[in-house]
Amino acid sequence: MTATRAIGGIRVRLAMTPMIDVVFLLLVFFVCTVRFERNEAVYTLDLPQRGRTADPLALQERPLVIRVGARAGDGVPIDLHADGLRERPPSFDALAAALTRVRRSTAPDAANAGLFVADHPVLIEPASDCGWQDAVDAFNAAVRAGFRNIGFARSGT
Amino acid sequence: MKRALARNSPVDADLTPLIDLAFLLIVFFVLVARMSGEQLPAIPLPAPADIAATPAGASRRIAVNVLSEEGGAVLTLGGERFAADASGLDRLASSIAQRLRSEPAMPVDIRADRSLAYRTVEPAIDAITAAAAQVGTRVTIRVCALQAEGGTP
Repeated sequence: MTATRAIGGIRVRLAMTPMIDVVFLLLVFFVCTVRFERNEAVYTLDLPQRGRTADPLALQERPLVIRVGARAGDGVPIDLHADGLRERPPSFDALAAALTRVRRSTAPDAANAGLFVADHPVLIEPASDCGWQDAVDAFNAAVRAGFRNIGFARSGT
Repeated sequence: MKRALARNSPVDADLTPLIDLAFLLIVFFVLVARMSGEQLPAIPLPAPADIAATPAGASRRIAVNVLSEEGGAVLTLGGERFAADASGLDRLASSIAQRLRSEPAMPVDIRADRSLAYRTVEPAIDAITAAAAQVGTRVTIRVCALQAEGGTP
């Protein structure tokens, strides 16, 4: 397909076919490369030694344990416990708030002087029937509270 | 687009088909790279309300998928399917270990359906730790979730 036009006595030939070729190519390229799904995010997991003998010389820090039960109706039984601490937050937001309260802030003028530093191990112990969504919600609450050393334990009963 | 090789020469090079072909080859290689890079099935990942995870980015990773099917949970890795029994998990651990030997720094991601129970996802975690023990290296294990639409953590 060639469009021919005379401008000021000069014949200008405009080849349409390669232009359409390239336009279609670009169209195919963008259709194939565009992604409509939501982006993925990741949590880095710190796993306890599973089935292996721990280093006998290593200092054992008792972890902050979050037990997550199987969902019953709208609620999920959550049990947060460690040395000198035992709470039953009613929701994952309340769990994040409770964890923020017990975390020791590194800022010099911070009001909260919690018991646990950000690197203190946090162990999430989901029940065997606990949903994966709820287990990840508990993990998210610990990350939101500023803890960095979080792992999943073997499922409880 | 035509280019004459020499003045008054009847030979001229038509560049248009050359450019067409170059574009075609670029598109072909981009698509092939995307298809062979990672085979990620669409999984309804957990979507926490106020997500604090970091974006996964486009870096290379080993993705272990835990799918919910009628017969129960099925694990997949790069298009290969593994049953959630002892022999299937052994094969999965060997397959992960083989990939880790070629690229030990590559993170291993767990992409599990949010509707599954924790006991069905746990074998995937066990298989990854078994693979890390086989390779004898510390492996970065990550849990995948969905970012809120339009939001950044």
